[in-house]
Amino acid sequence: MSGVGGTLSAAAPIEVKPGRHREAALYHALHGAGAADGRSLAELREAALDAYEHLELPVWRRSGFWTTSLASLDLDALRTTIDERSVPDVATRTLPDRPRAGRIVQSAGAVVHVELDEALAEQGVLLCSLERAFAEHGELASAWYSKRLPLDRHKLEAANAAFWTGGAFLYVPPGVVVEDPFEIVYAIERRGIAQYGRTLVLGDRSSEFRVHEYDVAENFDGPALHAGAFEMYLQDGARCRLAQYQDWGSGEVFDVSTRFVGVGRDAYCHWLPALLGGHLVRHHDELAVMEKGGDMAFRGVFCTEEDEHLDVFAVDLHETGPSGGDVHWRGTATGESRASFEGLIQIDPGSQRTHTYLQIHTMMLSPKARIDAIPSVLVSADDVSASHGGTVGELDETAIFYMQSRGLDRAAAVRVIVEGFFEPLITQLEDEPLEQLVRARIEQKLAAAHEDIEAYATSR
Amino acid sequence: MADLEIRGLHVRTEEREILRGVDLKINRGEIHALMGPNGSGKSTLANTLLGHPAYEVTEGTITFKGEDITEAEPHERAKAGLFLAFQYPVAIPGVSVANFLRMAINAKREGGPRDGAHPEGRTLKGTGRQAGGEPIQLKEFRSRLEHAVELLDVDRAFTSRHLNDGFSGGEKKRAEILQMAMLAPDVAILDETDSGLDIDALRTVAEGVQKLHDEQGLGALIITHYQRILHYVKPQFVHILMDGRIVLEGGVELVERLEREGYDQIRQEYGDEVAA
Repeated sequence: MSGVGGTLSAAAPIEVKPGRHREAALYHALHGAGAADGRSLAELREAALDAYEHLELPVWRRSGFWTTSLASLDLDALRTTIDERSVPDVATRTLPDRPRAGRIVQSAGAVVHVELDEALAEQGVLLCSLERAFAEHGELASAWYSKRLPLDRHKLEAANAAFWTGGAFLYVPPGVVVEDPFEIVYAIERRGIAQYGRTLVLGDRSSEFRVHEYDVAENFDGPALHAGAFEMYLQDGARCRLAQYQDWGSGEVFDVSTRFVGVGRDAYCHWLPALLGGHLVRHHDELAVMEKGGDMAFRGVFCTEEDEHLDVFAVDLHETGPSGGDVHWRGTATGESRASFEGLIQIDPGSQRTHTYLQIHTMMLSPKARIDAIPSVLVSADDVSASHGGTVGELDETAIFYMQSRGLDRAAAVRVIVEGFFEPLITQLEDEPLEQLVRARIEQKLAAAHEDIEAYATSR
Repeated sequence: MADLEIRGLHVRTEEREILRGVDLKINRGEIHALMGPNGSGKSTLANTLLGHPAYEVTEGTITFKGEDITEAEPHERAKAGLFLAFQYPVAIPGVSVANFLRMAINAKREGGPRDGAHPEGRTLKGTGRQAGGEPIQLKEFRSRLEHAVELLDVDRAFTSRHLNDGFSGGEKKRAEILQMAMLAPDVAILDETDSGLDIDALRTVAEGVQKLHDEQGLGALIITHYQRILHYVKPQFVHILMDGRIVLEGGVELVERLEREGYDQIRQEYGDEVAA
């Protein structure tokens, strides 16, 4: 991976795209649409600035299902600040106290904390701000930066590419195996902040490691923005377990982010975003097998409450075969929240012997909440298997009575059902401290929505 | 007064009156069998005793240990010492048998109702089970679980599986009795626990009930359509339910008579009474 340009191949453009009509235009896989193309960081920033000035705030729409509009986001009222010096309390409070390989914390626009295990540093592991990576490891950073992330699909994507500061950069050299996680933290401490987070993670040949990203905000009144861009590239035989813990608190935080994980030859990624809070969240999360023998598991949980709005587009992309994929998401909604999930399996021409499966299970917990889940499959190869399944559930009154008859009160019974619903995915984090954190947050959200859940049960 | 006393119970569900005046008394340490043909109201009675919301008591009362529980929440009845072994146990995915049991034991141990959960502050007095309030120690839990697992002749690994999730019919029924053993109720209602069991599973389940009776003084109401479970658990009292009423009561000789004559004969004999 030290060679400029890397060895991961770019994919051929696909010939058929789904729903070519205007309304669906934004629900496409990124699919090799990286902006870099040999341009320097300065050139990319300039192009992004130009795009930013021309683009409007985006609207995502699935006709008949949902609309995600940023109309209520007042960009002019937000500022990117770079004078933070300390780790925000919300980060200290949230992150579990546990062994770790390293930690980098960005507050608003500034990286305020970097630590890396000394032995790992000696083995050549790099963990620093992305700014510093460009200054000190320019060739490596330039070779991969924005390789697969575009910069002009919408205004906030352009804003990220033009304005990002700080940023996180992680490089794990060939053959280095790390048990404890690298923690990457984006924190927003107060209202009025626009945070443009930018992460680049490189796993060189046969490396094995874990990355835990935390996206957290203090409970403030008023608006803030996190416009994130995350890219990870795993070289031959590399293995990574990637997890995000996202909880933007009770403030009016907008999170519009794009994440791309590219899996190289015989490499493997297990990726699990836990989306547990945010006023308006729009994610494009794409996990792509870029070379033969790549394999991945793409898991996700979400749990929306009150008036939260969540819109996730999760892509399972196979650019070549043989390859494997397994996508499994679960989500609940309470209050008047709105959760929209679209899962896409895309298998490119020539990706023979690819086997993948997508399932999405949802549970509606209050009368005014709404969840939509759309699976789609785009296959351009013939020797493959690709299928999808899912369930839309409500609370099972028989199960509640069953547990009540054992002495659990109704609220406890509901909690058991919903936690049991998420449990098959949470245990796949295979990391006790993080599992506990996710469980606790879900429990907290359910407890807060207790009356609402009751109202739903009696209304039926 | 008996521990569990049902008086003049009328119950309707889905606009239909199913129970039409049931009287029954059950004490700790007594084993009762409630027999009856399909549709006679056996499961309605079982569900009503635990407060299933789909069943409405239109007349009569249920008292338990002197307390009127006719309108009590299901979990309050459970905490007071009632138990229902379900005819169709429900799968609870994501929760292991052991974890569920700990939750249930701790729920039972918890003091009165949660703050604010029941503003009227309704409690069941005299149960002796709400005091203490301390969650069960892991060590004590483990030893009790081990004992129960032996009693029910199940694998220890069984308790780390998700409750009833993917269980065979026999495993589900064993899991019911395992829960009963762990929760140590005063009176248990077993709703057609024998249905769908092969003879080995039936024997294990029945012997489990008998042992809990002998060791812990369990009182039981065994609801069944058939006689075969009663070859392994000996009831002292037998009640025959038809068309929502108990038409015949007696000792174990009633079971033998049913075996010889079948429900039709009894229906002919008591049919007029039922129709009246």
